[in-house]
Amino acid sequence: MKKNDKRYFGEFGGQFVSESLMNTLKELDLAYEAAIHDEAFLKQYDYYMKQYVGRENPLYFAENLSREYGTKIYLKREDLNHTGAHKINNVLGQILLAKRMGKKKVIAETGAGQHGVATATGAALFGMECTVFMGEEDMRRQELNVFRMKMLGAKVECVLSGSRTLKDATNEAIRTWAKTAEDTFYVIGSAVGPYPYPKIVKEFQSVISRESKRQILQAEGRLPDVVMACVGGGSNSIGMFADFIDEPSVKLIGVEAAGLGIETGKHASAMALGKPGTLHGMRSYLLQDDDGNIQVAYSVSAGLDYPGVGPEHACLKDSGRAAYVSVTDREAIEALMELCRLEGIIPAIESAHAIAFARKQAKHMREDEIMIVCLSGRGDKDVHTVADYMNSGMCRESSLDA
Amino acid sequence: MENRIEQKMQNLKTNKEKALITYMTAGLPDMAGSKALVKAQEQAGTDVLELGIPFSDPVADGPVIQNASCRSIQLGTNLKKVFAMMKELREEGAEIPVAFMMYYNTALHFGLEQFVEECISCGVDGLIIPDLPIEEQDDIKEALKKEGAPLLIELVSPVSGERIPEILEGARGFAYCVSGMGVTGQSGNFHRKLLDYLSEVKRVSKIPVMMGFGIEQAKDVAPVKDVIDGAIVGSHFIKLLEENDYKAEAARNYCSSFKKELNE
Repeated sequence: MKKNDKRYFGEFGGQFVSESLMNTLKELDLAYEAAIHDEAFLKQYDYYMKQYVGRENPLYFAENLSREYGTKIYLKREDLNHTGAHKINNVLGQILLAKRMGKKKVIAETGAGQHGVATATGAALFGMECTVFMGEEDMRRQELNVFRMKMLGAKVECVLSGSRTLKDATNEAIRTWAKTAEDTFYVIGSAVGPYPYPKIVKEFQSVISRESKRQILQAEGRLPDVVMACVGGGSNSIGMFADFIDEPSVKLIGVEAAGLGIETGKHASAMALGKPGTLHGMRSYLLQDDDGNIQVAYSVSAGLDYPGVGPEHACLKDSGRAAYVSVTDREAIEALMELCRLEGIIPAIESAHAIAFARKQAKHMREDEIMIVCLSGRGDKDVHTVADYMNSGMCRESSLDA
Repeated sequence: MENRIEQKMQNLKTNKEKALITYMTAGLPDMAGSKALVKAQEQAGTDVLELGIPFSDPVADGPVIQNASCRSIQLGTNLKKVFAMMKELREEGAEIPVAFMMYYNTALHFGLEQFVEECISCGVDGLIIPDLPIEEQDDIKEALKKEGAPLLIELVSPVSGERIPEILEGARGFAYCVSGMGVTGQSGNFHRKLLDYLSEVKRVSKIPVMMGFGIEQAKDVAPVKDVIDGAIVGSHFIKLLEENDYKAEAARNYCSSFKKELNE
């Protein structure tokens, strides 16, 4: 890798793709840089963020949760966005860019289905043909989102290769893109992939921290002590961190999925046990076996079971600027139920991972300290998964009647 | 010692012959069977052998090679075993030039230095790494400076355009021209400007130009025969081996008739 290379975050990132995509990536980078410096483009993006997505969304002071956990907790309500998660912020940015580049078709990969739904939504809005790649296993777990994508006019391509989850859906999207890049735009949903994708996703998601910073200054007159978000590939977290990275007093915490427990090997914590490697066009921390094959990640949450992590997160970990921790399926589900009961908010299982760690982190905080947790999505899509989990008896709250 | 691939390219040029390069996934049907297939192809006149190192996420490959990779991994194939097989082949006198077709992470995980040392000691002559464009080659090129190290074969795509001179600058062995957009094994799905593109590569290149991806029969390359120096067959060859229970005889027949037809 080259030093001082804009394509890299420290030693992570780069463009590990086939030669046939290199010109496409260059074209994308040029188009993106032009767009992001064009007032008209930014105005258009802001317009859709406000009028279509419903931004800005609240930075909600969770009074009951704060009392229970013993520190001030604010929730950034990305769950209130149109389509129910932060994914739409990035999708509309990329689709506006695709239109600007004259592309007629979009493709996307999806895990939990939130990015797929957001892409299908954006494609419907702007009259583009949309194909979403989704692993068979995830299609089963997220049946409702599959149906939503179809209602929105997208074609859902069932991926049967490998682990049949997000990793393989991404492989298939990359293969299709390599074939069709001349007229097709690949809308990547997480802060992963070859340069310039991690940069683009971060830019469009950074609206989360831009708003949060303004809102917390207004509410508290000072910056938060801790900012926290869940990390799969790392899109909501990089957006939540973005405007706080240069504020050294703010502690940044990324929460990965520990699945059944890191020690069981059934987890999705690339930062905890991963080694640097290359996958999906980037060099980053990856879960790998002894031969350098990519391991199957596991989490109860379809949106977090990705065996890698975005390259900027890898860099933030190595530099020590952000801390990465993990919580288990069980802790996440318990936190999800706690948020339902204390605040009347049903979070996505992904976001519940951040809530679960908030409880742990709060033990080290004073009552007057402030923590912002990114509530990246709502849990409507997860109701079946939560019910199955509880009925399996793996949770303390083993039934809803308890 | 001169590199076997370069030596072969020189011989082909002298004899005015076009090259047949085949791809096979290492470890299928098993390690012993793979070894027998390499020997059979050497006898049948295959000029260079691409040995596929199976990887869990082969994004440049279509379904045939994906499935072959997956099966091979399940059978326990890994880089260490393939190196051991290569060593045996060389000790048993096989001189066919061999290039590893692999994804970057496999080498990276093994450790680039150590990987190159093993390649040297086991007689690996070339590396084809489809997810390593020129922008990312600095590290491996550094490791490949060792005496007797394999050549890094450069890939060119139909949309490489202005990148072609930069890609081929200092390239050795042969230029691997991908016939179309996308992945391996899309039979006959060649790029609409295939002839123009190959002609351009041929014009710029100081080394032989080979075409791969989607080729099944020698006649598939007939329309571009004048601007290429050989053909690479991958997915179709794997399919053929599968249909014939990986019998060495099937490989031998296919390779010898392809090679003959290519040079008619």
